Amino acid sequence: MPSLRDIKRRISSVQSTRQITRTMEMVATAKIKKAQERIESARPYALSMMEVLGNVARYVQGATHPLLEEHPERKRVAIITLTSDRGLCGAFNANILRLTEGLVRDAEQQGAEAEIIAVGKKALSYLKYRGVQPVAEYRDISDKPTFAHARSIAAHVIPAYAEGRIDAAYVVFNRFKNVAEQKAEVHQLLPIERRVVEEEEDVLGPKPEYLFEPSPAAVLEKLLPMYVETLIYRALLESAASEQGARRVAMKSATDNAGEIITTLTRSYNRARQASITNEIAEIVGGAAALEES
Amino acid sequence: MAKTLLCEIVTPERITYRNEVEMVVAPTPDGEIGILPLHAPLVTLLAPGELRVRYNDGKDVEWFAISGGYLQVHEDKVIVLADDAVPSSQIDVERARQAKALIEQRMAELKERPAEEREEIASCIEDLEWCEVQLKVAERRS
Repeated sequence: MPSLRDIKRRISSVQSTRQITRTMEMVATAKIKKAQERIESARPYALSMMEVLGNVARYVQGATHPLLEEHPERKRVAIITLTSDRGLCGAFNANILRLTEGLVRDAEQQGAEAEIIAVGKKALSYLKYRGVQPVAEYRDISDKPTFAHARSIAAHVIPAYAEGRIDAAYVVFNRFKNVAEQKAEVHQLLPIERRVVEEEEDVLGPKPEYLFEPSPAAVLEKLLPMYVETLIYRALLESAASEQGARRVAMKSATDNAGEIITTLTRSYNRARQASITNEIAEIVGGAAALEES
Repeated sequence: MAKTLLCEIVTPERITYRNEVEMVVAPTPDGEIGILPLHAPLVTLLAPGELRVRYNDGKDVEWFAISGGYLQVHEDKVIVLADDAVPSSQIDVERARQAKALIEQRMAELKERPAEEREEIASCIEDLEWCEVQLKVAERRS
């Protein structure tokens, strides 16, 4: 039976842990909001870009572009893995790394090599542990990703794909479903799926005649890489928001668990205290009885 | 009363500007293009440079530094999708100058090295251009 003092010490230690987890929960809640706003403000750009892309595609029928071409063979695939820089966010990183691992295995089964672009310290330390050397690494951007980061990441895959050094590119990230839920997903970046530029005439109906400067093909040429960059940017933003969401949920359950432990510990503390009092009374009574008898 | 266009300048990170204007003048790779109300539907690439909008019956002009992107005109709505856009009043001249100096220094270093690092030079030229555009637009401040 642990002594009263031991129990007391444990209670206060759990209490201070609870204080920390509660604070982290509140910080994460505040950060989710900001991250969500950032996703929102990135939306108009993405929407307009899709609209223009759709318009251009109507004029460049059967468009050919290196980023649209599917390579006949898969010899090398690039995987962009988005993790967080900090831990204490539940299964957030574990899910991503598991998916990444699955992708690598699939690629290897098809006889292809996989190269990994690691974003976030967690991905880096995991790869180091597995003895894999990432082709590029980014850290300290998961908190506040910018478009420049997305562009720099895209620069690793776009030219490589156009020149045929890689035959596919994927991004693995946590999609932000709502504040309490995020889902690890794999998204194919390259080749760009045909449906993005395929016209959907029946849905859109007749459209006005657009003029293109300098030419539809030139506009498309510029748009497609930007499309890939926008996708990566969005993945970065969603991952940032998801990280805070995951952390909030993890910290909330940690706070709840700490509360439960405190309740149990307080109960056994009271029981021990009562037991020691009962013991003392029994001793006194016993002592008095012994005195009377003599 | 002159007709107006709705002009929106959007960057990946946010909507930078949104206003009813009378004219938009934007930099394209082939020179400047001016857009007035009732313009035909158009999609064009933009070059890094200065974009200006005229509003309030032509009395006010606002300047923006644009780092390239593209522009779409559709039914009196001009959407500028720029990689980066800063209104002239918000340009940090000091920072742009410092950045320019740093890039120039880096380029000088790179030029002495063999051709393997040409790629970085290309991105330096781009960044340098962006700094220069910002400095130029900053001078338009009244």
